[in-house]
Amino acid sequence: MSAATQYYLATILVYIAVNAIAAWGLDLQFGVTGVLNFAFVLFQAAGAYVAAMLSLGPSSADGGFQRYLIGVHLPFPLPILGAMLFGGVLSGLIGLITLRRLRSDYQAMVMLVVSVVATVVVESVISLANGSAGLSLIPNPADGLNGLTRQAQTWVFVAICAVCTLIVGILMYALLYSPYGRVLRGTRENEAAIEAMGRNATAARMQVFVLGGALGALSGALLAEFIGAWAPSDWLYPETFVFFTAVIVGGRGSVLGVAVGSALVCVGVQQAVQYLPIGSDPTVLASLEWIITGLLTMLFLWARPQGLLPERRRRFTETATQPAEGSPGAGGGTG
Amino acid sequence: MAELISAVGFGVVTAAILAISAVGFTLQFSVTNVFNLAYGSVMTISGFVAYWLNSSGLDIWLAMAVAALAGGVLSVAINEVIYEPFIRHGVNLFGMVIITISVGLICDHALQAIVGPSFFSYNAPAGKALHFADLVLTRQELAIIAIALVVTSLVQVALQFTRLGRAMRGVSVNPSLARACGVPTRQVIALAWFLSGVLAGIGGVALFLDISTFTATTGSEFLIVIIAAAVLGGIGSPRGAVLGALVVGIVTEVGAAYWNAELKDVLAFSVLILVLLVRPQGLFAQLAIERAVAR
Repeated sequence: MSAATQYYLATILVYIAVNAIAAWGLDLQFGVTGVLNFAFVLFQAAGAYVAAMLSLGPSSADGGFQRYLIGVHLPFPLPILGAMLFGGVLSGLIGLITLRRLRSDYQAMVMLVVSVVATVVVESVISLANGSAGLSLIPNPADGLNGLTRQAQTWVFVAICAVCTLIVGILMYALLYSPYGRVLRGTRENEAAIEAMGRNATAARMQVFVLGGALGALSGALLAEFIGAWAPSDWLYPETFVFFTAVIVGGRGSVLGVAVGSALVCVGVQQAVQYLPIGSDPTVLASLEWIITGLLTMLFLWARPQGLLPERRRRFTETATQPAEGSPGAGGGTG
Repeated sequence: MAELISAVGFGVVTAAILAISAVGFTLQFSVTNVFNLAYGSVMTISGFVAYWLNSSGLDIWLAMAVAALAGGVLSVAINEVIYEPFIRHGVNLFGMVIITISVGLICDHALQAIVGPSFFSYNAPAGKALHFADLVLTRQELAIIAIALVVTSLVQVALQFTRLGRAMRGVSVNPSLARACGVPTRQVIALAWFLSGVLAGIGGVALFLDISTFTATTGSEFLIVIIAAAVLGGIGSPRGAVLGALVVGIVTEVGAAYWNAELKDVLAFSVLILVLLVRPQGLFAQLAIERAVAR
């Protein structure tokens, strides 16, 4: 394989891994628990920035051509862990404001507003993260490895992404098929019933908000380290919608489904557009990607709302589903 | 003092544009309970209809009238062809939010593929500047304020005092009861979409006139500010939307004059979040409970 093919393949693999992690984070919130987080991409961005700030070293480096906060050089994997921590804390703070008091349609709108505010702030306050120019020269943890060729280093980074994806995927399975996973799905399906069982639906929402934020940050950290640059144009608020499409296409609440969905939507659509016989005008190609993403979402919500690989419905034995004598109304759900 | 007065003047112009658009957004929401995030695209497309008419020589105010009609037709068409079928298909409130985002993205990017990423502007002179003590407004800005006053008052009066307004409020509170009482729900809903589109059209052209250069995504970018104004006033309340528009418009422009022009929207959004912390239903919302999609 030529170096260019190898690099292309590695890039595709990294993008599949990173988008799977992000889509799982959103799936925890939207797919499993039913929280509409229209600011999701903000947490990916937060992770990317923090990972950059924790690995770039002081901002006076490289002639001080970019300005940013913190500016230390920590060894791998500390920048990534720091990014996840920050993503979780930021989610917690935003969740405290939006999830506790607001009704859920207001929540969705306020999250949209929060996402835009964050972009405006980062763009205008240059000292935070170098404004609209963004950060560049973000070090890749595999770059410093001695005795390895450039190509081998790329594959080391692919391996790091693969390991992260595997760990997150296994954790997703463990979480969703535990009693806690049932509380989360119950919060989505019937909040009143969950509350009646003595579980706290608001707390469940908060917890997935924080977990999803940390996963979003992990994906952002890996992505920024791979690309080596991160700027506000990478995380405009419509980007969140791509992850929503990935979750809907793959199958809400289904771990494997969401991974497949994110590979198809976040990576597949972009690659497919390149091979269409419509010329190479970058504006038209980018527009076409968005149009296809929008059409895919509508198509799936119409024809296959459960997604490609639907969440498995648990079946219970007859004794558990039969209403007990003299308890009317058991089992009836509200739309 | 002079600076404050001129900032407030700019704020009132912004508020006027916001009020027209936010009333359209909130009116349609109050009747159908669909958060229409494609509203910004309806504004943009109407704005471009006015641009095409204007560049072929039509006066901008006539172009605005045609664009308003185009916005109304587009809005009804989107509802009839896409939203209605999805609602009847059983898609819930949140599914509908996602559908409206899809429609908005498709519209914006289809338009962008046609017109390209460049900036456009109308061929319309701002008119003579008029001085009121320290306040300086152009004729164009005064016209926008006048249009906003007329349009928002008409909507308010129509909702309060006409049979149609009563029917709309009825459908908003309980669609099936309204239907049982003989209200032609489908027509009322279609009319709400039409009115909302008309307001989007007027708001879109006014916005493009005011900011002077626009692209295929300007309307959708402004939609966030419209949502802030509508949610601030209490979503579903046209009166609240006007108040929200005034607060957001004046806060942003005074903030731009005294603090930081780039961060002016942040100030408005912070006001929104603060108000929601104290009053989660917004300033004027009558109903704090969520309702299902009206069908």
